[in-house]
Amino acid sequence: MTAGLEIIAFAICAFIAITGALGMTTTMSMFRSGIFLMASFVGVAGLFILLAADLIGVLQIMMYIGGMLVMILFMVLVMHDPGGAMMAGMDMSFVERWFSKGLVPREPAQSGHAKHMHGDHQRGYNDHHHGNAVQPDEPNDRKAAAMRSGHGAHPMEHTDDDEQEGQVMHHSGDKHDDMDMGGMDMSMDTPVRPIAVWLAAAVSVVLVSMLLLRPAWRIIDAAPDPDSARSIGHLLMEKYMVAFEGAGFLILIGIFGAVLLARPSTHPDDPSRSAKVAIDERPEPIADDGLTPLAGARGSTEHHMHRHHRPEEHGA
Amino acid sequence: MIATAALVLVALVLGAALTLLVERLSTPHHVEPGPAQAADVRHSLVIANSDRWLLPAGPVVALTGVALALVVLPFGPGLIGRDLGIGVFYVIVVIDFVVLGLALAGWGANTAHAVEACYRIIAQLVAYVVPLGLAYVGVIMMARSLSTVAIVEAQSGLWFVVLQPIGFVLYLVTGLMQSYRAPFLEPFAASIGGGVLDVSAGWSALLWRIALAGVLFLVAAIGALLYLGGATGPLLPGWAWMIIKTYALMALMLWLGRLVRPFSTAQMLALSWKLLIPLGLLNVLLVGGLILLGVGP
Amino acid sequence: MIVPLTAYLVVGAILFAIGVYTVIAQRAAVMILMGIEVLLNAIGLNIIAFWRFTAPTDYSAQIFAILVITIGAVEMAIGLALVMLLYRQRQTVEVDAYAELKR
Repeated sequence: MTAGLEIIAFAICAFIAITGALGMTTTMSMFRSGIFLMASFVGVAGLFILLAADLIGVLQIMMYIGGMLVMILFMVLVMHDPGGAMMAGMDMSFVERWFSKGLVPREPAQSGHAKHMHGDHQRGYNDHHHGNAVQPDEPNDRKAAAMRSGHGAHPMEHTDDDEQEGQVMHHSGDKHDDMDMGGMDMSMDTPVRPIAVWLAAAVSVVLVSMLLLRPAWRIIDAAPDPDSARSIGHLLMEKYMVAFEGAGFLILIGIFGAVLLARPSTHPDDPSRSAKVAIDERPEPIADDGLTPLAGARGSTEHHMHRHHRPEEHGA
Repeated sequence: MIATAALVLVALVLGAALTLLVERLSTPHHVEPGPAQAADVRHSLVIANSDRWLLPAGPVVALTGVALALVVLPFGPGLIGRDLGIGVFYVIVVIDFVVLGLALAGWGANTAHAVEACYRIIAQLVAYVVPLGLAYVGVIMMARSLSTVAIVEAQSGLWFVVLQPIGFVLYLVTGLMQSYRAPFLEPFAASIGGGVLDVSAGWSALLWRIALAGVLFLVAAIGALLYLGGATGPLLPGWAWMIIKTYALMALMLWLGRLVRPFSTAQMLALSWKLLIPLGLLNVLLVGGLILLGVGP
Repeated sequence: MIVPLTAYLVVGAILFAIGVYTVIAQRAAVMILMGIEVLLNAIGLNIIAFWRFTAPTDYSAQIFAILVITIGAVEMAIGLALVMLLYRQRQTVEVDAYAELKR
């Protein structure tokens, strides 16, 4: 790879990595947050490939695209405003507005702020602008109006999904239907945020200055083996067998633990108890499916598909 | 390098067009079309409240994934974009971009049906990814390499479909899951209006058709590569055999898929985790036994 | 290699700082988990950069990078399971509501 191309590739990948991480933190939409994090991981994977560690780079892309997509599903499940629509109309700092461009606020009439700000590209961590501009009353009103039609950025669709799939997690979804959010205010300006900003800035300044002012590293100019997969495979099986098996065992224990933790509780008063009942039955099919109904179920459809029934899959 | 990129794109478009034609012609009226639905290419569509960046980015990302994956596919002895050392692993990873593109468009369209399609697509990803890896692992073990060219060469004696029938069946099923064809076409079901295909029109619909047909083409081509010996054969040139094998496998997959009722997402997940993963592990065990016994390349 | 080692390490340091900010300043538990992933990512970048420049023939460093990624994934899975459990009990994912152990 020629020198110029390498510098350009490094610059692009580093830019994507850092902008992705920054966007993840500051954007108002949770979905975009996940996407930004994915972009950041792809940027770092690009850096890995530049460093001739292609297997690790591709491994990183595979794991994190799948992982972040599932994480986004979790966020949509548990968070009140996954699409950022409710937050889009509120006061934000310049950095946040830059990364939240294009988000349509839920109540455009009430929000006094422009939907698409031509944000200044000031990258300073300077969000003391919006100091105490967030009044506790205004967000509540907007919240209340938004709550009337459900929660989240996709109110109609979200409540439809809730009802249809017998959302067991949203057993507490009843709580969202009354206007009281439990006293939780949606402000992003927590008292710990300036501390976090200064801490992050301090960490970066200290690390970067230590790196730049350090005497030179002992660099070896050898070229790595091009068939990295084979070498890694041999190492995993020969020298690091214990670590490999240990990691496998750890993953197994982790899976067991996660399944055990997420299992519905057996305590009779626990609100997740209803989840146990729903999971024990056959999964409820989506209504208005248009698919051929199962034996003995609803009426006719226009699809007359003659099929082999594979009874062990359908359990019909 | 520009020439290879151009050739890969041409191959993609041709393959996708032929696939789309084959699919449209072979879909009877009583079967749900899924991704092979008719496209409204002439008009454009403006969705209210859609995300300005995520919705158009969907088909572009999906198409990028398919095009990148085609780079490592050998269509003949010298007809390969670039023979990466991590060939098939790279292909698995890059096809995930199709799922990413579908999820972006589903969420970005901001309509009820599209968001539902987004959830189903991610659930289908969770369902197919582990069995798909297991279907590949048997072949990789026998070929002792991740490179696509090495896998083709390892089958010069005997095709892997003979040695690993369970792996072949596993690949058929997970390939159907990966390309969202029957019986796994829940994200594109008519009940949600075709999912992301409903909220696309004009150039976006065209790109989606190319991307989805391209995924089916890719899945069939990789199946031909992994289990049917790739671009080798007695009389005809290599690329002719590759095309024949690809479309034969595609026809087999589509036909077998249409014999079964469409699965719901929950049934898909149950099938994957309760049946396919144990089958895949059994396959790996058997292939390991075969290798130790000295059978195969 | 035209781009020096220090450049990669600086990128890693900035990613680390952003991860620290995310973990401290975010209120939703899921976002904190994502910040932890950024931290692990920065560490992985450091490992691979050092491998390439100081010991390119010994692949043990890549094994460590794989282990870091793996353990990060497992930790995220358990973290999400815990978040689900806490969400059931407190009906929110904001960590301020988890401040007291007693319900």
